[in-house]
Amino acid sequence: MSETTEKVENSCDARRRILNIAVSTVLLETGFSSSDKMALETLTEALQCFFTELGNSARGYCELSGRVEPVLGDVVMGLINMGISIQGIEQYATRPNRHVIQPLQQAQAPRTPAMLSAGSKAKPGIHIPLHLPSLPDPHAYIRTPTHKQPVTEYEAIREKAATQKRDIERALTKFLAKTSETHNLFNTEDNQVFPLIACKPTFPAYLPCLLPTDQVFDFDELEYHFQVANRTEDLPADKKDQSDNEGENGADNENANNSQSETQDIPSASSPERSKT
Amino acid sequence: MKKERTGDNSRPYKLAHQILSLTGISFERRSIIGFVELTIVPLKDNLRHIRLNAKQCRIYRVCLNDQYEANFQYCDPFLDICQKDPHTRSLEDFSQFHLSAARKVDPDNNSGELHLQVPDDAAHLVGEGRGLRIGIEFSLESPQGGMHFVVPEGDASLVEKSAHMFTYGHSSRLWFPCVDSFAEPCTWKLEFTVDECLTAVSCGELLDVVYTPDHRRKTFHYVVNTPACAPNIALAIGPFEPYVDPHMNEVTHYCLPNLMQILKNTVRYLHEAFEFYEETLSTRYPYPCYKQVFVDETEDDATAYTTMSIMSTHLLHSIAIIDQTFISRKAMAQAVAEQFFGCFITMQNWSDLWLAKGIPDYLCGLYSKKCFGNNEYRYMTHQELQEVMQYEEQYGGIVLDPWQPPASGSRDECRDTFYFPVRNVLTMSPRYIEVMRKKSHLVLRMLEQRIGQELLLQVFNKQLSLATNAANTKIGSGLWGHLLLSTNLFVKAIFTVTGKDMAVFVDQWVRTGGHAKFTLTSVFNRKRNTVELEIRQDSVHEKGIRKYVGPLLVQLQELDGTFKHTMQIENTVVKADITCHSKSRRNKKKKIPLCTGEEVDMDLSAMDDSPVLWIRLDPEMSLLRTTVVSQPDYQWQYQLRHERDVTAQSEAIDALHNYPEPATRKALTDTIENEQTFYKIRCRAAHCLTKVANAMISSWAGPPAMLTIFRKMFGSFAAPHIIKQNNFDNLQHYFLQKTIPVAMAGLRNIHGICPPEVVRFLLDLFKYNDNSKNHYSDNYYKAALVDALAATITPVISVLQPGAPITADSLSADTRLVLEEITRVLNLEKVLPCYKHAVTVSCLRAVRRLQQCGHLPSVPAVFRAYAHYGQYIDVRLAAFECLVDFVRVDGRPEDLSSLLTTVESDPDPGVRHGLARLLVTMPPFERAQRHRLDTEAVVHRLWSNINSHLSNDARLRCDLVDLYYTLYWVKRPHCLPIPEMQAMMKQLHHKRKDDREAKRPFLKRKLDVEPKVEVEFPALDPIPPLTTLEPMPNEDNLPVPLSAIKEEDVKLDITTLQDMPIRVYSDDSKREFISDNAVPLPGIPGTSGPIGFEPGMFKHERDELGAPKAKKKKKDKKKHKHKHKHKHSNKDKSKEHKDKDRLTPRPSSGLEHLKIKEETRETLSSFSSSQSPSEDISSMPSNMSF
Repeated sequence: MSETTEKVENSCDARRRILNIAVSTVLLETGFSSSDKMALETLTEALQCFFTELGNSARGYCELSGRVEPVLGDVVMGLINMGISIQGIEQYATRPNRHVIQPLQQAQAPRTPAMLSAGSKAKPGIHIPLHLPSLPDPHAYIRTPTHKQPVTEYEAIREKAATQKRDIERALTKFLAKTSETHNLFNTEDNQVFPLIACKPTFPAYLPCLLPTDQVFDFDELEYHFQVANRTEDLPADKKDQSDNEGENGADNENANNSQSETQDIPSASSPERSKT
Repeated sequence: MKKERTGDNSRPYKLAHQILSLTGISFERRSIIGFVELTIVPLKDNLRHIRLNAKQCRIYRVCLNDQYEANFQYCDPFLDICQKDPHTRSLEDFSQFHLSAARKVDPDNNSGELHLQVPDDAAHLVGEGRGLRIGIEFSLESPQGGMHFVVPEGDASLVEKSAHMFTYGHSSRLWFPCVDSFAEPCTWKLEFTVDECLTAVSCGELLDVVYTPDHRRKTFHYVVNTPACAPNIALAIGPFEPYVDPHMNEVTHYCLPNLMQILKNTVRYLHEAFEFYEETLSTRYPYPCYKQVFVDETEDDATAYTTMSIMSTHLLHSIAIIDQTFISRKAMAQAVAEQFFGCFITMQNWSDLWLAKGIPDYLCGLYSKKCFGNNEYRYMTHQELQEVMQYEEQYGGIVLDPWQPPASGSRDECRDTFYFPVRNVLTMSPRYIEVMRKKSHLVLRMLEQRIGQELLLQVFNKQLSLATNAANTKIGSGLWGHLLLSTNLFVKAIFTVTGKDMAVFVDQWVRTGGHAKFTLTSVFNRKRNTVELEIRQDSVHEKGIRKYVGPLLVQLQELDGTFKHTMQIENTVVKADITCHSKSRRNKKKKIPLCTGEEVDMDLSAMDDSPVLWIRLDPEMSLLRTTVVSQPDYQWQYQLRHERDVTAQSEAIDALHNYPEPATRKALTDTIENEQTFYKIRCRAAHCLTKVANAMISSWAGPPAMLTIFRKMFGSFAAPHIIKQNNFDNLQHYFLQKTIPVAMAGLRNIHGICPPEVVRFLLDLFKYNDNSKNHYSDNYYKAALVDALAATITPVISVLQPGAPITADSLSADTRLVLEEITRVLNLEKVLPCYKHAVTVSCLRAVRRLQQCGHLPSVPAVFRAYAHYGQYIDVRLAAFECLVDFVRVDGRPEDLSSLLTTVESDPDPGVRHGLARLLVTMPPFERAQRHRLDTEAVVHRLWSNINSHLSNDARLRCDLVDLYYTLYWVKRPHCLPIPEMQAMMKQLHHKRKDDREAKRPFLKRKLDVEPKVEVEFPALDPIPPLTTLEPMPNEDNLPVPLSAIKEEDVKLDITTLQDMPIRVYSDDSKREFISDNAVPLPGIPGTSGPIGFEPGMFKHERDELGAPKAKKKKKDKKKHKHKHKHKHSNKDKSKEHKDKDRLTPRPSSGLEHLKIKEETRETLSSFSSSQSPSEDISSMPSNMSF
């Protein structure tokens, strides 16, 4: 969009520059050595209007006579119709000391942007004669995904998750450290590098510690997990005494119903017979 | 039956019933007003004096049968323990006074603080076998011990603030008058009137809750029909939320508001403990109900009382917490076991404490064996054994029952081995009680091995059924004695049940202290195919160690199996040849049978000719012993790899520390990786491997130790360097995952620093820690990671100029990373606190570690903030730990003094005790090293605390006795001036004091106001400066004993009051002796003054005496102000004087002193010390050792 308007402006500029040159040449011929910019512009504007008007009426005449392209006669008619005498115009055009405007250099044509190519072009089938144009990009006739394939590499995912988490935490703690009181580990006044958020006494002090908020657990689900799904107490005795050492919560090993799918790399841990509850 | 004087028959009466009614319980004033009525049955007709226990209470009135008012006297010797010798500062003397004070109030000695006299006109009430009711009205304000009010700051209502109160310890005399003996059980009626919104939980069955007429308060009525003794009565009042156990509806749990959910989780398995004990003992639970109350700010995790236990609220945990579960479950099971022994069956004397403590421990041990597994049980027993042995070797042998000498009766040496009297619980060090408890457990376990578990349980069962029968009878039946248990009764019961006489066993292990120590060496004799063993007991004369005579089991693991040999130990050196069962034949590939019956393959290439794989001494821990077994390294390695017993494995690990070589490394690595091995052994192997790796650092090849193991176990499949997402479902792995990083952090490279690889590894663990998919909280794991980071820190190699301030820019790159991580997690904890702030605790220690190693300036400000009241208890204790360490390294006297202030007056009794213990384990200065903190002021401060200020808190007092011992041992502290000098200087002072009357005081002492002693010498010194001399380095010995004046004052008071009971308040100024609500008590119309002996009655006299002094004080203050100006103006000058004065050379100035002496004799003959001046003079120069 913006590209086209720019081009229009460019061409306008070029045309107007020519008109400008023309007006200046005439002025020089007439004996002026300099002109006001305003005056020059006004004259250029007037000239441009004149040409526009002339062109319009020439096209009118041409169309009136059933043609699509104006001929010289149409222009003459236009001039006459505007009340301009065409007497001596030939002489004027061939006057001896006229200035010839240098032909403009061909402006470099703006490069057309390359077509977006997606995928490699398919070779035409053998049934298609060679002279026919080659096939268009494959996305023109098959589905192409509009987003990038997510990274599936385990390492990268973990890396990214860790970095993200760390960034969030760092930003949060930095913000808090800046907005609240801090302890200083050094004897210096400046406490920008390693600020410690000051601790505030709370009453009663045990509540936030016994009911931590660092992680959100669904206790009902956990209860189900430990008490029902993974209960080892009801197992026959011979299996039970294997869990002797760590008989805590009755949930000392395999997680039966949880997210094994996410981390497929967990090697199945000890004593497989206990997982079958 | 011979008439033995025991705890239950020493009193001339029996207690039948007691009513306790507390009416005015005020949280604002922290006070209670109450009434008790004891129904006693005199055992003789002419009972005229009755002694009861009551401490810190104010007694208003004592009434007999509601009719006759009785006179009473109140005397608490703990208020000034060393009253007879106020100048002594040695623990030797203190110990004696301490014991005699405890005796003077011991109910089992028919004594007590409260002495009632039956008036003549009430004499007819007393008759043998006729009940006599003694009613006592009393009140208690701001209790310093025994009862604790938790009233958080803030304006909210009591319920919103979760304000509550509870009693703690087993010393009921601190909150109501009683017979505070475990040997005097009786039935109880308990009534507590509390605010309508609160709940009172106490012993016995709740009969009724009655509203007061104004409907703003209600009264809880409890009855205890099973006889219970006063120390087992407890009370907790607060806005508790009740939870009836879904499995046993006799059991109710109470917690503070908002904690219901975790309460439900915590108590989930308590019914199993009940079932276990009932089944094991084949006895019903002796009481009709059981209550657990979880309260804040307790001293101990759990304390058991009749039908109820008061627990720490910090035992509560959610289902996602792992480590705490073990602790909580054990603490609760222990409290239930104590219901059977300790509450229901109590001890007859203090000497039987070991039974009252040991039996529940033993039962709880059996339960934890069932609950946590045999390995855990054996491991715990082994740890306990080691701990007890270590304590005994440090302090002396613990005699469990010191009252009765062993029948063989030759050894009596153990009596005075301790610096505190071991014959009364009020004087025992808390640490001693703890260790004694463990020893009791071990001894009972040994007994189990001697007579068999079944029979031992039958003995318990017999005691319980006898007691149950007795409990259902009335007092008249005289059977209540069956509720008591003593060593003798126990031995008798064992004999009745089993027919075995255990008297010798009891003599050997209960009535004699100390343990055996065996050193075993062995040589294989190839020709005769025997092993020549030599067992020596070389160190029998060392502390805590004694000679053992009797059988000893030696277990040999040979190629053909395990063989046990019982050796008779008769001498200090025993030699024996044991013929091997197996020929050396390691070429035959055959499986080797182990003691468990398993047959295993072993790689026998490391062995030499001997067919012995390893030797163990006393493998079942059936003696109290330490063993030193010398065997070659490969035998230890075999033992670690193949012996199935965890104790053997753990001993092997201990021994392998000394063999840093590739084979050891391999054995340890295999152990860590072996899934069949007990997890605690694996964790210990990891730590051992750290040491081994450090010792063989020059030859170490490959990645840092354990890195590969860790990656193999916990690294993710696709990228081994990234740890898996946390999954703690396998608890063995969980504990390893926590331990290995810490163990690895202990690794050091050739330069003595932690290898950068390890630091990177640890930082990566932080980075990739992901708990989102875990069923458990990772708080302890995160804390372990911080611990690991702290363990990587090594002393700084500073490029800075010495003395240049440490700034953030001067940190090394590694330290920066470490510190960044620590600050990040510590800051994060403020927003997202984890369970029990475990991470903060570790971070504080890590910061201290950075300070210790010189990476950070040693600034205590952070720790001070965390140590404040209002922080979580664990955090506070960790901060105090850092502060104590700081004080030790670069503390100023003020820092030490502020710690002591906390010990004296922190609101939380748990912190007071905890900090005192920290100071004992990390003493602020070494004894007699002339440390800058080793000042006289500290001596006097500690002394006044143990001598009088802590009269109501026996445990803290004994803590401080421990501290005093650590700092000064039993003799007079070195920093104090020698007494003779002191006496002399005292006179000098009196002379000066007189001068002061005329001119102005030159000495100002404000020990009471501020802990630090400041001495200011004015420019006008009576002693003109002598010839200038070389300054002496010693600054501690001020020639002017500061205590002199003060002590003289005190002495003055005491001499005038000596014949009367003494009550000295530590803070008399703060106390009102008659509180407002004391006036309208019934029965004392119009009198607001005291009746009978009152606390502080003698204060008037004191005041009168002290009046001029007080004035003087005021004057002093003014002067002091004035002096400040003065001080500024010619500070230097005065300092100079001070120096000169301090350094006045004694020997050379003998003349000078003579002169002074003469003067004093003239002017102040009345103040002469016990020694004659001539003696002084003669002894003086020789003692002037500066």
